[in-house]
Amino acid sequence: MMRALAIGGFLVGLALFGLVEWLARREGSKIPTLGELCGYVMRYEVGPVPVGRIGLFGFWWWIGWHFLAR
Amino acid sequence: MMEQPHDLTVDTPRTWERPVVCVPVLVALSLVGGRFTSFSTEANVYVFGAGGVLIWLGLTKRVQARPAPERLPPGAVWWTLPVLVFGIFEGATFIAAAGDDFPTFSLLADPLLEDRLVRSAAWLVWLSAFWGLVRR
Repeated sequence: MMRALAIGGFLVGLALFGLVEWLARREGSKIPTLGELCGYVMRYEVGPVPVGRIGLFGFWWWIGWHFLAR
Repeated sequence: MMEQPHDLTVDTPRTWERPVVCVPVLVALSLVGGRFTSFSTEANVYVFGAGGVLIWLGLTKRVQARPAPERLPPGAVWWTLPVLVFGIFEGATFIAAAGDDFPTFSLLADPLLEDRLVRSAAWLVWLSAFWGLVRR
């Protein structure tokens, strides 16, 4: 029962990512695409340090290591 | 010789940035990555190597970047919905630590990723998204 709940929850979460991305890609949408959102986050800098870029690159690198190497 | 004013120059993507080149390269890299099993030295070296090169490309801005929005439209708040749903389930399953009875996303993904084709597909998703981030 709890296993099914977990699987269902993750599937709903993934489906919501797809749904919001689809809504964002419609003509005249007020929702940014995930790529635009990432681009905005990556603009964030503290002084000369591109904190947003480093943070997102590091997060995605860790995701790859976690699922594909560990 | 006079230097060309920057406003008049047109940035064209380099050959290796074009989809006709980078898509087959990403597919080839993914097929190689899919051959390495979890916890193997090869998998670790490959992930750190590929990620390291992509981060180097992204931080040195050697790849032509797409313009990023200066501000987000109000609809950006909708992205919190999938993040919250996914985060709540990941957090709950992680804290419960109930193993296969209430598994984390990683536990659910592990058996799927044992298949070489699925693993290569996962590599392709990871590398493509990474390449997309580098180009931002």
